[in-house]
Amino acid sequence: MNISMLKVIQPKLGAGQIINLAPILASQIHTSTPLCRVVSGKYRITKKRDRPLTYEMANPPHFIAHRKSWNSWNTSSLKDGLRRSETAVEDEFIRRFMTGTWHGLVCSEVIIKRQFNHIRVAAIIRRAVSPTKMYFLLGYTEELLSNWIQCPVTLELQTVDSFQDVVFKYI
Amino acid sequence: MSVFIKYNKPGSIGNIFNVQVLWRFNSTTAETMRKEEDEEFRVLDIMKKRDRQQKRTARKINIQPDRADRMPTDQNWGNVWPGPKTFHPSSVPLPIRQGYVPKGQAPPGKKANAELMKIPNFLHLTPPAIKTQCEAIKKYCTEWPKLLNSEDAIEKHYPVEVITSDYCHASPTIRNPLARIVNLRVKLSTLNLDKHAKDKFLRLVGDCYDEKTDFVTFVSDRCPMRKQNLDYVNYLLTACYHESWNVEDWEKEKCEDDMEYYIWDNNASKKSLVNWHLRCNNQEINLTDDEYKNYDISGISNASGYKEAVSSLMNDGENEDTVKNYGSAVRKLLGLPERKLTQC
Repeated sequence: MNISMLKVIQPKLGAGQIINLAPILASQIHTSTPLCRVVSGKYRITKKRDRPLTYEMANPPHFIAHRKSWNSWNTSSLKDGLRRSETAVEDEFIRRFMTGTWHGLVCSEVIIKRQFNHIRVAAIIRRAVSPTKMYFLLGYTEELLSNWIQCPVTLELQTVDSFQDVVFKYI
Repeated sequence: MSVFIKYNKPGSIGNIFNVQVLWRFNSTTAETMRKEEDEEFRVLDIMKKRDRQQKRTARKINIQPDRADRMPTDQNWGNVWPGPKTFHPSSVPLPIRQGYVPKGQAPPGKKANAELMKIPNFLHLTPPAIKTQCEAIKKYCTEWPKLLNSEDAIEKHYPVEVITSDYCHASPTIRNPLARIVNLRVKLSTLNLDKHAKDKFLRLVGDCYDEKTDFVTFVSDRCPMRKQNLDYVNYLLTACYHESWNVEDWEKEKCEDDMEYYIWDNNASKKSLVNWHLRCNNQEINLTDDEYKNYDISGISNASGYKEAVSSLMNDGENEDTVKNYGSAVRKLLGLPERKLTQC
């Protein structure tokens, strides 16, 4: 969405007027968010080469479908798919809710797979809290999400000892 | 005097302990003296190093060994993985790896591998699992009718085809508006129609008829539900069929200009042929229109070939073959010699 603030003013041509068609520059104000194609989704190399990256982070976005796959699996992006925007917003909501509820525990991206009306949420979780708390959080998340989204939600988690286990490389 | 000195000691401003000491001092002097020797001056711990040390260490959670390591080799896999599920490394006893790495390195293993969790797996659809599931639902199936053993037989006994689409997609609702569309198609040759009814049927259905495949197709998407659309296309077929058998009064007024194709018997070509034939035989020419139409041309030599040639010329349009046919038919009829090839 670009709103052109200054329009190109076409000089009106009179009958005996000298033709003056020099291009008049128009400046436009861009109100959309910048794309930042070159830097978005990529990580800079640190001086000490000690920034830990997971496999997901190590592969920039243009490798999706080549080296890594999507984090959301649903049919709304197919041709004539239904509920495109709703699905995207719900997925973002689930991601935020997961990272907030499992605070500091989610070691990977939150993977959301939809089959029919069933939503499967998968993630890799750090074993930093007791199993009892984990079971509580599991039921809590499933219950609340399924109440909000109005369809069954299943959490399928994998646990690791620490964040070190998911580190793929250091840059 | 010692009492007061103790009282003013920094770091111990009138707490219970000192009060007790005060009281004891009054009772027994000797005991208090000994106590004073043991007592240390308190250290002001500004950085709180002692407290920080007391922070609880992370509890070591007792983690069970992997389930995959303890699995017997002859287990029933369908019980381990009964339904669709995200990949879990401790339940799958396979040395799976996934991920892109530079040449010479091993790809990431199955543990803590998010890529394996992303992709849909078919671990619940192993051939034995499918077999057992098929066995389980077999009792709900009925036997296929023996007489319907070929495509032709099915086509003969069930000429009407209804085509609908079901849509399977991931969303909270299972409805898809496109599922309401119903196609009904039937071969025109399977309908019981006579010449007039067929003509009228084709005029009624219009574009729904495809000449190449001989299919009449009714498509309906005007109602919101599939059932209503199905009823509607059935109604359309029934109505068109019965209407085509009706003969209205005004249909008798159909003249030669309204004909959809050329019928030689009704046209001037036959009339002139008959006239020519009668004149050749020196007979009277006073026939009515009906007599012209019903005149038997088998008595005229080569007339049937002429009829075919004229009909094909009029119905199929002018092209090299039809014109050539027409020419040779006329030559035969009039008894002229064949056109020589050299003259071409």
